[in-house]
Amino acid sequence: MRAIFKREMQGYFYTPVGYVFLGVFLTVSSVLFYLSIMSQRSGDLPAFIGQMSYLWMLLSPVLTMRLLAEERQKKTDQLLMTSPVSLPGIVLGKYLAAVAVLMAAAVLTLLYVLIVGIYGRIYPAELAVNYLGFILQGCAFVALDLFLSGCAATPVTAAVLAFGANFLLWILDLLETAVRVNWISEVLRFMSLYSRNESFLMGQLSIAGIIYDLSFIAVFLALTVFRLDRKRIGR
Amino acid sequence: MIELEHVTKRYGQVTALRDVSLRVGERECVGLLGRNGAGKTTALNLMTGYFPPDEGQVRIGGLSMLEHARECKRKIGYLPEKPPLYDEMTVESYLRFVCELREVARAGIPAHVSEILALCGLEEVRGRVLGHLSKGYRQRAGIAQALCGSPDVLILDEPTVGLDPKQTVEIRELIRALAGEHTVIFSSHILSEVQQLCSRVIILNEGRMVRDFDRRMPENGLCRIRVKIAGKEETVIAALKRMDPEIAVEQLPAEESGIVGARLCVSGDAAEAVPRVFRMLAASSLPVMMMAEERESLEDVFLRETQ
Repeated sequence: MRAIFKREMQGYFYTPVGYVFLGVFLTVSSVLFYLSIMSQRSGDLPAFIGQMSYLWMLLSPVLTMRLLAEERQKKTDQLLMTSPVSLPGIVLGKYLAAVAVLMAAAVLTLLYVLIVGIYGRIYPAELAVNYLGFILQGCAFVALDLFLSGCAATPVTAAVLAFGANFLLWILDLLETAVRVNWISEVLRFMSLYSRNESFLMGQLSIAGIIYDLSFIAVFLALTVFRLDRKRIGR
Repeated sequence: MIELEHVTKRYGQVTALRDVSLRVGERECVGLLGRNGAGKTTALNLMTGYFPPDEGQVRIGGLSMLEHARECKRKIGYLPEKPPLYDEMTVESYLRFVCELREVARAGIPAHVSEILALCGLEEVRGRVLGHLSKGYRQRAGIAQALCGSPDVLILDEPTVGLDPKQTVEIRELIRALAGEHTVIFSSHILSEVQQLCSRVIILNEGRMVRDFDRRMPENGLCRIRVKIAGKEETVIAALKRMDPEIAVEQLPAEESGIVGARLCVSGDAAEAVPRVFRMLAASSLPVMMMAEERESLEDVFLRETQ
């Protein structure tokens, strides 16, 4: 797993992928920072973090599209599958590498917090909870999109599938308010990653939210392992 | 070292491999022959644990691939048809990665990688990016990765396909050098290559194993000897038939006048049969102009078995 993690990290930074991800993330987030904090002379970091969380939806496919689909396309999966590494080890190594790049992006956003801290007031505990939700949400998207990369034949189809699925999760929120049947609305609310994040953005350390996000991640990682195993068997 | 027991593999409705059983011993060099789609790559993928068989068992060093996948995979180095190279990595960093993947002790990795680079003739390109290498070097890098972790078994799927003649000779020499230290199984449809490198040949046709033979051994326990004897046709053939009733005599078309050509089928291996026949011919006062053991060419066997 360690070898896979290391190789994927090299893969991100020996190719433009890691730089593109971080570059686009920081460019767009800095524009959002200017619009919602600087031009408004506001110190509302939770609202800003809430806006940044939409970037995961857009950019997570960039991190995951190559991870499994490209291995299959270039047949390098034959090296991994015939080496003494377990399927969960392969999946976890790749997942953790994507999460590490995502975390790097999240850490770089602390620069915005620093700026607000210089000119205004920050509440460290509330901010920590905001960030916990922000990162968990990103990790959940990466798990979902990694699974889709395992289902796709090429990185491009993996990216399209991942973007579609992320977008659908966002639409669930809109659907939830539009649907008038109570129980359907409840189910949609339960499934929505965005609704789950609201309590974190309000500074509430939601155990249910943490459990939901971690379960979401675990389920999609397990599904990825299952999917790869089925592909290996040829079914 | 490797055993396939009644192995069957299907891809949907297509049966790629049907009830194949074979056993490859330590340090054997085995050539897997067959036409395109005969099941060669499927057989190799099963041996490496890339996918499991639908029926039957694969054993490596006595261990079941299904139950002890990790231990079995540790014993195997595999070069698939397309070398599994990460184009953005340098040759050296790639081999280091494969060593880590194959659980080589961290302290031993630099020395192990240097040894493999030297063996495969990759030292001069060790710092170059894999994506920028020529096909010959890429193939060498593919073989180099198969050597990481010093596996007992090397499985090579068409290792010389697409190479120019010089590169082909270089890769063959490399395989020949490796064959002394490892069990080598490789697939090819270049008959001369198999002829040069392997003593044992397995022929697959439409997913079935149609022939498994050691080219050094007499076929069906019989040795074929071609002779040219001076004399009259009827006298020579009659004398040959009188020599030993167990020796089958087949007259061959005459090439020169006064010389009779014949093929003798004798039981036993060449080392014993040829001197025995020679002594019999001498005892019968038949003047031997030419005498040679006759082997069926691999091409003949291949064409017959894959018709």
